[in-house]
Amino acid sequence: MGKLQLYEVFARRQRADRFEHIGCVEAPNSDLGRVYAWQTYDEAKWFEMIVAPRDAFHCVNRPEQPFTLHPSEEALT
Amino acid sequence: MTEGTKGYAKPADLPDDVRDHLGSLLIVLADNKRLLGMRYSDWLLGAPALEAGIACSAMAQDEWGHGRILYAMLRDFGYEANQLEHEREASEYRNMELLDGPAGEWPDLLALNLLLDTALSVQFEAMAESRFEPVHYKVSKLLDEERFHFEHGRGWVTRLGSTDAGREALRRSFRPVWEACLRWFGPDGDEAGRALHQAGITDKDAAGLRARWLERVGPVVEAGQLELAEMDGGGSGVWLSRVEPSWDGWDPDVRRGARGGPDADMLARVRGDKNRPLLMD
Repeated sequence: MGKLQLYEVFARRQRADRFEHIGCVEAPNSDLGRVYAWQTYDEAKWFEMIVAPRDAFHCVNRPEQPFTLHPSEEALT
Repeated sequence: MTEGTKGYAKPADLPDDVRDHLGSLLIVLADNKRLLGMRYSDWLLGAPALEAGIACSAMAQDEWGHGRILYAMLRDFGYEANQLEHEREASEYRNMELLDGPAGEWPDLLALNLLLDTALSVQFEAMAESRFEPVHYKVSKLLDEERFHFEHGRGWVTRLGSTDAGREALRRSFRPVWEACLRWFGPDGDEAGRALHQAGITDKDAAGLRARWLERVGPVVEAGQLELAEMDGGGSGVWLSRVEPSWDGWDPDVRRGARGGPDADMLARVRGDKNRPLLMD
């Protein structure tokens, strides 16, 4: 039925801004990933928001997966 | 609004018959928006995923906002917004029959989300270039918000349509909503639709709006194998319904098959009966 996947969410308020990583959503496909991101992170009037599957990111300088939290933070999720 | 054509700044500027048809259409749209928002809100805490519940919350807020704008706009048509929002009996509402009772299962809500919500958007889209300026200026933002409602419905149909059980559940829920939405635009040659189109209030008549709705939702239900729509085999690119709407009992004034209105629970909620003592103005 479409495996659930984490999508990382990035946004910027104005064209001149850099993208900020603002969070993630869990969705079964990219259509719903985009919708959930837009409707979940609606705290600002974003100029642009983008999403990408978490597994599309590759860590450059560390052995663990990107977006891995510190163990003390994992306990809070 | 096409450059060079005369716009109508207020209802009093409209020809009498056009003003009546447009006022009626705006009540239909406001009631459907308000009640659809209620149906989305029913799923804030019961949706299959946290994110889906948040999406329902956002869509409910959008619908309520759109309804509020429309009720306020009706003041200039001689209606009293407070009376429209808080004082009417069930039989006076002009919502689609589909919104009278709750959407019991998640696929039922998805049918309202994809089919009914899109039908409302198609009707608004037809007024994007309207000669009636108060509507013309509101439609762009409204449609911008609605884009994500459509994508939510499409995303879920894609997901559920990928399994036999999910597809069967969608078929059961979508069939009655499909029929009601097909009919909601009115029969071909509908008088109100023709008058509004000829006056430049909308860019399509009833048949044109139905065709636009089919063009929008047809590819989604076909991809989900719901057996409701197909593309014309003659290569015209036109989307056709595989189901003929029934016009038995059709009432053009309320744009539904039978007078009725929201059930008792919904009526109390939509009118705000519980908070009636707090209404100050």
